[in-house]
Amino acid sequence: MTASQININKLIQHTEYTASTVQERPLYASGTWERSGKRAVVAKGVKMEFRSGADSTPILQGIDLEIPRGEIQLLMGPSGSGKTTLLSILAGILTPTSGTVCLLGEEITRMSKDELSRFRLKNIGFIFQGFNLFPALTAAENVEVALRMKGIRKNEARKQAKDLLMEVGLDNRINHLPRDLSGGQKQRVAIARALADNPKLIMADEPTASLDSHSGHAVIELLRKLAKDNGRTVLIVTHDSRLMDVADRVAYLEDGQLKN
Amino acid sequence: MASIARKNLFEDIPRFLVAQAGIMFAVSLVTIQVGILDGFTRSTTRLIEQSDADLWIASKEMLQLEITLPMPLQRLIQAREVEGVDHAEAVISRNSLWLDANGKIVPIRIWGFNPTGRLFSNWSMSKGTPTALKEAYTFITDRSNLNALNIKQVGETGKIVPLKAKLVGLSEYTQSMASSTSIYASLESANAFTSGLGSSLNCTINSGDVDCKNPLSTADIQLSEPQPQPRRLNLVDPISYVLVQAKPDQDLQVLKQRLEAKLPNTRAYTKEEMASITRSYWRERTGIGFILGLGAAVGVIVGIVVVSQILYSSVSDHLKEFGTLKAMGASDWVIYGVITEQALWMAILGYIPSMALCWGLGAWTVAAKGIVILITPTTAIAVFGLTVFMCVGSALIAIQKVTHVDPAIVFKA
Repeated sequence: MTASQININKLIQHTEYTASTVQERPLYASGTWERSGKRAVVAKGVKMEFRSGADSTPILQGIDLEIPRGEIQLLMGPSGSGKTTLLSILAGILTPTSGTVCLLGEEITRMSKDELSRFRLKNIGFIFQGFNLFPALTAAENVEVALRMKGIRKNEARKQAKDLLMEVGLDNRINHLPRDLSGGQKQRVAIARALADNPKLIMADEPTASLDSHSGHAVIELLRKLAKDNGRTVLIVTHDSRLMDVADRVAYLEDGQLKN
Repeated sequence: MASIARKNLFEDIPRFLVAQAGIMFAVSLVTIQVGILDGFTRSTTRLIEQSDADLWIASKEMLQLEITLPMPLQRLIQAREVEGVDHAEAVISRNSLWLDANGKIVPIRIWGFNPTGRLFSNWSMSKGTPTALKEAYTFITDRSNLNALNIKQVGETGKIVPLKAKLVGLSEYTQSMASSTSIYASLESANAFTSGLGSSLNCTINSGDVDCKNPLSTADIQLSEPQPQPRRLNLVDPISYVLVQAKPDQDLQVLKQRLEAKLPNTRAYTKEEMASITRSYWRERTGIGFILGLGAAVGVIVGIVVVSQILYSSVSDHLKEFGTLKAMGASDWVIYGVITEQALWMAILGYIPSMALCWGLGAWTVAAKGIVILITPTTAIAVFGLTVFMCVGSALIAIQKVTHVDPAIVFKA
């Protein structure tokens, strides 16, 4: 561990998080991690404004954020604070008004649209609050689509899809359509899809928000497992305080700024 | 990859069926309109195409097969003397009237030819043979004309005013859809049938009053009443065409020039040229081609509108899924591929039943009405191409919608 990392960890440990539910957790806001390759995500001075005619509404006001590889980072905050916008920017789906974002050592804010698409396809798995499964496809086909998009051959993709569904405990639901699955099962299919071809980054938007308590816990445990067992970096936007149990770091976003 | 396009399409069967009904309507409309236009124009040239003549000699003022000026029979004799001519026959084409047993008048077109000749009457016959026309005042007509002439079978009689006539044979596929009911007779009978029409009021003056009897107004049809034998045609009798068969290996272009030089005020056409002139006349110089073409265009427009709506609505319903694909890193081309594949499925699944429907309808109209909806392999392939164009073209509108989708919508629950 470098000196700067130690300092930051000390800083984090001495910072008090305003939300009572997360007071015991270390808070990470901004830091001075070097570009050593140990950070999966580095965002510097990220600003985002939405313009409507002559009016400009600031959404993010200079976000600095770094996430080490292999850790689970929570991004919390009240509704309208800009969490999802920040997630979209960190995932390369939205382009910030200013600032830079590096993922896995590559500055995505300088990439073209096509380069971004290729980068996301290769490196990022997504989990959505609304599952976003293809309703006409079976569980296996939903996963297979992601694998085929990544260039895996049909038979191999079919086999890997089944393996991934087995990994998330859905081996008996492989040929079910999403409408025949419970909310928890749908989210596990979505997680299996996000794991297709073993991406290094997982970005999840409110992964437990649409789930009951039992399903939510199952999904939380799954997220912890997939991060810890395989060294993936997981960024989760959530309101769900239960996820703090599995997080390595928590950032709190309010009024477009990360708060300590 | 599991076919998202195909599965999206079949996900909602009722909506899929409504979409297919729209495409079927459009494809059927185009096919039928084109088929009728093709059937119509083909029917106008049947007599030309079924003939064995290498060349048709006509008045140089001829517009098409049924609109020409007469020329004297002498031209037939002159044609036979031209070097390179193997055989020549005369054909007469004139209008007349048929008076059926109920006194109903039907406009007819009489074709006169040599019943023992070999150039004009190479049709299929369902009853009788052309040689039966050697008997005076007999005729052959197309099987589909029986209802129009109000006769039921060979042997029945009617009146080609002012003369009585007997049906001795039925031909197949010889009736032009554009023409009056066609009747085929020997040159002599045809000449007799069409001589004196319109000038035969029998009038007498009684005490200063003029009392007229119109032979056209009577339905007195008794072949027992003797009719004078039709006279042989002489050199100055008018004919419409001279059909020429060239000697083997004779250059037709050279023969055409020789014939035109030897026969004043005439032009010689190959069979293909004659058919082409006639087809062009009906397609381009009458409103028929325009109207049927317009119908086909309306079919295409209806198809594009229907398919566009269906695809647009389908894409709108699955917008979040397309957004998800984009967020996951799919290129725009992957998305376009899904929508285009969907459009192609719609095209194929709309085309096949439509074409089967049109074939069935065509078979029925030929059998019941004698109207040919001609669906050639070329037409079938062209309509398929048009259907694909229509569906894929419609997909472009839906693609516009997806192109502008913000992938960030995937984060909205």
